[in-house]
Amino acid sequence: MIPVETTERIHHTNLNDNNAEVMIRLQNINKVYRTDTVETLAINNISLNIDKGEFLSIMGPSGCGKSTLLNIMGLLDNPTKGEVSIDKQDTTKLNDKKLAAFRNRKLGFIFQSYHLINDLKVLDNVELPLLYRNSTAKERRQLATEALEKVGLSNRMKHFPTQLSGGQKQRVAIARAIVGQPEIILADEPTGNLDSAMGNEIMEILLQLNERDGTTIVMVTHDENMARKTHRLVRLFDGSQVQ
Amino acid sequence: MFTHLFRLIWNKKKQNALLITEMFISFIVMFAIFTVVVFCYKNYRQPMGFVYEDVWSVNFTPPENITNADSVAIFHEALKNTLRSMPQITELSFSGNNIPFSMNTSNTAVSYGKHKKVMANVYNAGEDYLKVLNMKMKSGRWITKADAVSKNRIIVINSRLESELFDGQSAVGKTLGDDFPGLDQQNASQLHIVGVVENIKDKGSYQEIESGMYHPIDTGWARWTGTILLKVKPGTDATFESKLFKTLSNTIGTNIEIEHLDKKLISKNKIMVVPMIIAGVVAGFLIINVALGLFGVLWYNINKRRGEIGLRRAVGATGNSVSNQLVGEALVLATISLLLGCFFAFQFPLLNVFDLASGTYIAAIVLSVIFIYVLVTLCALYPGKQAAAIYPAVALHEE
Ligand SMILES: Nc1ncnc2c1ncn2[C@@H]1O[C@H](COP(=O)(O)OP(=O)(O)OP(=O)(O)O)[C@@H](O)[C@H]1O
Ligand SMILES: [Mg+2]
Repeated sequence: MIPVETTERIHHTNLNDNNAEVMIRLQNINKVYRTDTVETLAINNISLNIDKGEFLSIMGPSGCGKSTLLNIMGLLDNPTKGEVSIDKQDTTKLNDKKLAAFRNRKLGFIFQSYHLINDLKVLDNVELPLLYRNSTAKERRQLATEALEKVGLSNRMKHFPTQLSGGQKQRVAIARAIVGQPEIILADEPTGNLDSAMGNEIMEILLQLNERDGTTIVMVTHDENMARKTHRLVRLFDGSQVQ
Repeated sequence: MFTHLFRLIWNKKKQNALLITEMFISFIVMFAIFTVVVFCYKNYRQPMGFVYEDVWSVNFTPPENITNADSVAIFHEALKNTLRSMPQITELSFSGNNIPFSMNTSNTAVSYGKHKKVMANVYNAGEDYLKVLNMKMKSGRWITKADAVSKNRIIVINSRLESELFDGQSAVGKTLGDDFPGLDQQNASQLHIVGVVENIKDKGSYQEIESGMYHPIDTGWARWTGTILLKVKPGTDATFESKLFKTLSNTIGTNIEIEHLDKKLISKNKIMVVPMIIAGVVAGFLIINVALGLFGVLWYNINKRRGEIGLRRAVGATGNSVSNQLVGEALVLATISLLLGCFFAFQFPLLNVFDLASGTYIAAIVLSVIFIYVLVTLCALYPGKQAAAIYPAVALHEE
């Protein structure tokens, strides 16, 4: 079995504190995928607390359930069993409207394949989360511009995603994730499609977000070097946490 | 959100052009259909203006041996007396052959003041024509026996012609010019109006009321007159009809034809209704086709955009807002097509293409716009609902 590994913490501040605030609490999560022929136990009884301001990375072999776990944390998918609380709110009781508002306010997503809307310009892509809350066009424009400045892409605002390199696309996706100033960012292999130089750049942005803004970040990665830079590493194997 | 939709649609203008074209064509087809429907419906709503039940028409070939004016007058008088002696017949009148609901028409162009060459139907009518058909005078008087032999050419016009020529003034006492072919020139421009009669819908239930004028059957026309309109008592049956037939055959000769106006109306209406039903069926298929096409395109679009839908859900869209967005996009596209379509449709009333009232076109435009919006909404609703039900994780997973 894969050995338990906990990376050295970069910050020794309040994270070791027993009374640190828990941001994400997973309790006995199970996820079963049922297709016509097979039942896949993608997540097997995982309980996990992630503190406010923590940068957590998740590793594990392909198909072990990393994305599934992240989606459950991000309220994009329902667990078959178990409870997900975010910022002390039990999310199992939220209806679709409340869930959407919750995702919009609290969560930012970054995906391996970027998931940009190719028919929208960079700026419009970044504005997207703001469309689903009360905001004026002017506010949206300003926040999106600021977010793009943070990821160093203010010179590409009028481009379409297809006109960008992979690294640039991912930076747009990060800008989109942070534009609504969420407390949590969930990143699923954000550097998976990028070369190491580009990957490091993305990682730097994430680290900065965590350090400067105190954003709680959960990142799935295959890269040990990336994982080493985070506060804590959780390893999954066949849907279970090996720790 | 609205500008966002516009931007999204604008950036995909190539893909959307096809959909817009489809909606545009549907609109034009619906506009054509609704124009006809509105036209017929408006006509249908008009009162008939006369009573055609229990009115029979008798057609005969005038006897060839009776030629001079006096003998014609005697022949007509004798014919009338024979018919009047029958208790079943309450009213009767000689008439031109363009009786109500017949296939015959006769018209001419008349002029008054600045209104030049206005087309009007010409009816030859006896003094009891009004009573047989139970028509109503609007002003002035109906044709008398004396009018037929008067030096002046006397006419009664209908209310439609009055409003067309006299701009809201009364026509009684005025004189019309006409270009009636075959009339001696000295009389040609001397039509004295003695009365205005209310409009009657004598072309069928769905036909427009046309301008018309009623001439007395003067001595020149009497010889060629071969139609009599009869008002019979309600419930008069075929037994009487065959008796009437025999009597007339004895008096006039062969070639007698007796028809009932209510039956003529039915066959006249068929001429209008049958093509409309056929057009309706064709249009129905077309609409189903368009609906399926729209549905298919929207369905395809939504499936192609599952990744986008998943992403929108992830950044805070509810299922409803996703479905509203998709329906909204379809409606924005519909609006673009409709603006385009309306631009074309409004040329019809502006250029007066088919001489229809502009109200008819506008009603048709409004109906077509509503129709297309409803159709597009219906076609977008189900794919939209499907999209709303997609789990964000599943949609994101697929890309
Ligand atoms: N929608 C689904 N339907 C059925 N099975 C699924 C579905 N999504 C994931 N699975 C299964 O659940 C398991 C976990 O999948 P998941 O995508 O979480 O893996 P992963 O750890 O993210 O892998 P990778 O590193 O390759 O991205 C896999 O066995 C996968 O086949
Ligand atoms: Mg994965």
